[in-house]
Amino acid sequence: MKKTIFKVAGLFCAVAAAAWAETGTEKMVAAANQFLTTLSAQQRQSVLFAFDDDKQRQRWSNFPIAMVPRGGISLKDMNATQRSAAMALLAAALSPQGLEKVEQIMEGDEVNQKNESSRPPGSGPPGGAPGGPGGKGFPPPGNQGPPPMGNGGGPPGLRGGLMFGKDLYYFSILGKPSLKDPWMLQFGGHHLALNITIAGERGVLTPTLTGAQPALFTSGGKIIRPLGKESDKALLLLNSLDAEQKKRAILSYHLADLVLGPGQDGKTIQPEGLKASEMNERQRAMLIDVIGEWAGIIHESAAVARMAEIKAGLDDTWFAWSGPVTAEPGKNITAYYRIQGPNLVIEYAPQTLGGDPGLHVHTMYRDPTNDYGRKLTVKSQ
Amino acid sequence: MKWAIAAAVALSLTGTLGAHRLDEYLQATILSIENDHVEGSLRLVPGVAVASLVLDSIDANRDGILSESECRAYAARVLRDMSLSIDGERLSPRLISVEASTIRQMRDGSGEIRIDFRADLPPGGMRRTLALENGHQKGISVYLMNSLVPRDRTIQIVAQRRNENQSAYEVEYTQSGDARASSRTIGFASIFRLGMRHIAEGADHLLFLLTLLLPAPLIAFGCRWSVAGSAQQSLVRILRVVTAFTIGHSITLALAGLGLVRVPSRPIEVLIAVSILVSAVHAIRPLFPGREDRIAASFGLIHGLAFASTISELGFGRWERVMTILAFNLGIETMQLVVVAATLPSLLLLSRTRQYDFLRIGGGVFAGVAATGWILERVAGATSFVDVIVNRMRESAVWIAGILFLAGLGSFVMKKFERPGEEGSAGPLMRPPEGQTAL
Repeated sequence: MKKTIFKVAGLFCAVAAAAWAETGTEKMVAAANQFLTTLSAQQRQSVLFAFDDDKQRQRWSNFPIAMVPRGGISLKDMNATQRSAAMALLAAALSPQGLEKVEQIMEGDEVNQKNESSRPPGSGPPGGAPGGPGGKGFPPPGNQGPPPMGNGGGPPGLRGGLMFGKDLYYFSILGKPSLKDPWMLQFGGHHLALNITIAGERGVLTPTLTGAQPALFTSGGKIIRPLGKESDKALLLLNSLDAEQKKRAILSYHLADLVLGPGQDGKTIQPEGLKASEMNERQRAMLIDVIGEWAGIIHESAAVARMAEIKAGLDDTWFAWSGPVTAEPGKNITAYYRIQGPNLVIEYAPQTLGGDPGLHVHTMYRDPTNDYGRKLTVKSQ
Repeated sequence: MKWAIAAAVALSLTGTLGAHRLDEYLQATILSIENDHVEGSLRLVPGVAVASLVLDSIDANRDGILSESECRAYAARVLRDMSLSIDGERLSPRLISVEASTIRQMRDGSGEIRIDFRADLPPGGMRRTLALENGHQKGISVYLMNSLVPRDRTIQIVAQRRNENQSAYEVEYTQSGDARASSRTIGFASIFRLGMRHIAEGADHLLFLLTLLLPAPLIAFGCRWSVAGSAQQSLVRILRVVTAFTIGHSITLALAGLGLVRVPSRPIEVLIAVSILVSAVHAIRPLFPGREDRIAASFGLIHGLAFASTISELGFGRWERVMTILAFNLGIETMQLVVVAATLPSLLLLSRTRQYDFLRIGGGVFAGVAATGWILERVAGATSFVDVIVNRMRESAVWIAGILFLAGLGSFVMKKFERPGEEGSAGPLMRPPEGQTAL
């Protein structure tokens, strides 16, 4: 008798727990709606776009917002309540480690801002808030897609605008937050572009750009490397390869930049390097671990589905490396690497813009077959 | 306001925070290979430090505006500075479109110029090489060169080559002329050809096979090579050696191709060179007379592992891999048969003459030297000229085979004429040990 009571009670608890535990999409929809209610009508108008607004989808870049304006509204344009609702939305969209990575990238831009303002007066002209409401009117930025012909008007009045700072990151929502219908959340600014497409329970993070400059800085007495794990784990994988595998993995030529950066949606280049089918189990696990640094940025249930997809195509996934094969302990690699599978492209590209290439990194995370979740949303449109 | 702009630009020039391309001219090309044409998309991103240089050369009238005609003229110049060719034949790419950001965007490093071009491809063979060299603004540029995975599934890229800074790029691809055929049979045909090429162009496999065949028509007598057996016996011995080699390499090719066996390729490459050395010594002095087939089979096992590493680079799925192995192996066997058919008559004829010793010993010494060179090269990483010399010989293989055949025919005919008077003076080398009938 007692046993039956326990069983019934246990079952009840399980059902209750299941009912209470929200899915990733549910959490995001609730947080998005909460965020939208905190906004003024004008702000809401700035933040919302049509789901199929291809221009807004592609309005992302590695550049500072003063050079390539984003749509939506920035944290700088929000009051404290709005800002915390916005960050709660971001927390619902991302995994804890994904959120940490994003916050460190933003923190790095704050370092830039401080360095900037400590310069002698006149070198960094103070300016009003860049962009602000009405972001829809921005011309397409130059770094993506076919730029406008001739001199058809650059970003107006932005030259004196702010370049850097952790509040110069923009939110935009494409479509209506929904449990069933597809919608998108974008968040980005300098060195950051998250494009999150939600379609039912599925969540797609591609294309996403992460970057860091400085890619190593001190904050609160701690050394921060926003993309340090991407660097360390890949180096670990490279070092685990035998001479023969290395010969295949290491490319004979220099790569100065991302091949499939902004504006290169949907392209699948001929893969190169070492195939995962030529790796042992330990090396394959390490490769998956590297990929997880990008695939695991999104919230957990979406990341789990994505990792399953990546593992299914692992045999046809390639690892290629170009550049120095060592790094100082605690510092970033200065080499380029690429991981390419049937529905995956990851590029890690240090930028040699004078100075230490390990201090300035761009990375790209793509699924050329599923830009902006097209594979999931085309049918439902 | 103007001063503010100038200050912002100056800042981006001097600041270490410049998030933009700084001192180089990035030129990124992505090629898209189609059945009868190739399209290219070229992205030109001038860094801040070189933007003025680049812009001055575009904005010919210096009015601060990049007009359409100025952009087109610039694009034409870029295309002229590039050299695009197929199988060594120069192509003339046509401009499809050119688009440019504003001068201001380009001055601060966030702008770009995009040039799309197209070139028609003349009809050609099944395996083609497309080469692109970009010589535009060499002094200040960095390059990226890539090809898209061809949309047309009858086209398969098999190799890409670049120089260190990617200003020169070659992409090698197989192409089936019949686009209607299914992709599987096309893949099969191109892999089959790959197998044939692998033997025809793989100098070490070819040399091994030929060296092993050199003494095959002969019979060992003690520790020296003696006379040739009957034509039939010679033929049987040659075929047994070739068959044994085939069985050996087929086994390991299948095992390694299916991923059941994994062996690093460095030691295999060394062992292959050793196998050539052993057969070279055997051609000079019999090491394993009468057991050539068994030796050929065991060396075949090693060569099969090397064959497998070639197809593992092609990147096929598991099911396709079986077909790949089959096609590749059939290609290998076909080419092997061609080689045997081309050399067999000469071997049979020459082995019946005294001059055959020169060929056998000379060939053995040559193979031995080449094998030693390869071993040194593959073990110690030393560079030798073996590849150059052997490849030069391989390129003139048809001539060498022809000369050998004529020489064989000549000496055989001469021997026939000499025969009545000089039967007894043929020397110990020419005496059949067990009264075998000569041809």
